[in-house]
Amino acid sequence: MLIWFLPVFLVLLMIGLPVFFALLAAPGALLWLNGQERDITLLYRNLYNGMDSFPLMAIPFFMLAGELMNRGGITLRLVEFSQALVGHLRGGLAHVNVLSSIMFAGLSGSAVADTSALGSMLIPAMEKQGYTRRFAAAITAASSVIGPIIPPSGIMIIYAYVMGESVAALFLAGIVPGVLIGLGLMFMVKLMADRYDFPTAGRSYTWRERGEAGLKAFFPLMTPVIILGGILGGVFTPTEAAAIAVFYAIIIGLFVTRSLTLGEMPNVLTRAGMTSAVVLLLVGAAMSFKTVVSLSHAPEQLAAFILSLTENPLILLFLINLLLFVVGMFLDAGPAIIILGPILGPVFVDLGVEPVHFAIIMCVNLTVGLATPPMGLVLFVAAAVSRERVSTIAVAILPFLAVEVIAIFLITFVPAISLTVPRLTGFLN
Amino acid sequence: MEPILAAIGLLHRLNGALLAVGRGIGMLAMAAMVVAILIQVFFRYVLGNALPWPDEAARFCMLWMTGLMAPTAFRVGGFVAIDTIEAILPGRAMQVLNFCLLCVTLVVLVIAAQIGWKEITGIGGRFATASLYVPLSLSFDEWYRVPRSWMMLSLFIGLLLLILVNIELLLRRLVAILQGEDQLPRISDIDMAGPE
Repeated sequence: MLIWFLPVFLVLLMIGLPVFFALLAAPGALLWLNGQERDITLLYRNLYNGMDSFPLMAIPFFMLAGELMNRGGITLRLVEFSQALVGHLRGGLAHVNVLSSIMFAGLSGSAVADTSALGSMLIPAMEKQGYTRRFAAAITAASSVIGPIIPPSGIMIIYAYVMGESVAALFLAGIVPGVLIGLGLMFMVKLMADRYDFPTAGRSYTWRERGEAGLKAFFPLMTPVIILGGILGGVFTPTEAAAIAVFYAIIIGLFVTRSLTLGEMPNVLTRAGMTSAVVLLLVGAAMSFKTVVSLSHAPEQLAAFILSLTENPLILLFLINLLLFVVGMFLDAGPAIIILGPILGPVFVDLGVEPVHFAIIMCVNLTVGLATPPMGLVLFVAAAVSRERVSTIAVAILPFLAVEVIAIFLITFVPAISLTVPRLTGFLN
Repeated sequence: MEPILAAIGLLHRLNGALLAVGRGIGMLAMAAMVVAILIQVFFRYVLGNALPWPDEAARFCMLWMTGLMAPTAFRVGGFVAIDTIEAILPGRAMQVLNFCLLCVTLVVLVIAAQIGWKEITGIGGRFATASLYVPLSLSFDEWYRVPRSWMMLSLFIGLLLLILVNIELLLRRLVAILQGEDQLPRISDIDMAGPE
């Protein structure tokens, strides 16, 4: 009977119950109906113990670091550096948009922060150069999904914690897929620029000017080097690296860019704290949910059902990508990972898919879902920043979504894209 | 309608004040977490002598930050949900559905709070933390080992605040169903982001 908690959970979710409550209510109700009242206490214990975690502390720290970077005037320096590198190409500002997103991804790990920070700067600039507003908003939203794929990444920390994977391995596995999506988007921009005769962003910069722009962006761009270098070198744990990133962001904001003031700190801390509180509660509830998933033997039954469809892992991966893509259209990446990770992860690992590879498939697919209609979060943010209608952006983004879907399939069917870097660095056997 | 509006007014002021205090403490807890971990990094990697308390102190702060700040997020609609059905329902039906969902959340919260209190006062709460002490005198010669129940209390207090917020939201929805939404005091907007 316990297996019924999954359909009950889905119904509660679909009628609009917040994910946190649905994660507790559905298993709780079924345990009660099943006469397992004692296990309801177990739900509470796992909720608390799930939050009481040192590795999980990386989430509030990375969120705080992202907030500090946003306020610290770092975006402008990244955009100027990108412009110096690719601004002279046809479709220059669209290329700048994508390249800035790749750089920004190494600092913040949030698609929403990327859309709002880069969009507010680049969308008006692109419009002024003759791009349509919907195109500018679409390329901003499409490129922002690189944020949670290139490390640091909030959703990868959540996945690693809920599924017991290595944060470092996931971070490393995300680098090539993130860059791949960025390059794919730039290729699409080039095709469109040639066809529709897009403008360039201005004159070609000399290498000396590029060097100067690079120097200005040097300190912000050192953030991912410090984070990843510290973790990979065994110097810091991911949590400590995240705290160092906060410290570094404060130093840059106060003394290098001088765009951050101490008066802004309470607001920054509150915003990061509130967002983190919601995520931590969700992760705690996911740990409760995971217990009941195991008790109900749902993964085994789901595996039997999936294998009854086909035993070919390639077809199964194709089907799972379709499922994730549809889920991503309606649910944000973090909650979707929390819900689907414990159910789908064990099934595919048993089928022989490398856990880190499956993690990247899930993270990339669900992150792209942030830019897909009807519920894509970054579409709404792009609409708010550009004052363009969501439906209009949703149409303009289609060529870029096509690129991202191709990238998802490449990442799915060529495991080396994700696994080479963690293998070369010894984080994966 | 008058008694409901009076109750909402009272809860609006009470929740506004309690949650503002919660956000203030949560903000300080966030800052303390960063400081504690940076101290640990300094002692471990620079002085080569790891301290026993910063990791646990930081977790203590994180739990309290979560308990005290999550209710504000709930009040301003910051808990993630799929709102497709709500969006396609006509006004009154949406209000009724929302009211029913808030009843479900209230039941979950009340049950969780009951279990939470039993946990705090039960065996689990009687253990002490591994490394957290508070001084009992100004001369720092007497120390009290912090019990684990002080950490566990964070979630319980969070649940109590969530219950208060839930009741306020429930009454607000009831007034909306009775078409008195324009008489409700406005909840001030608080900016929220997400892990995405």
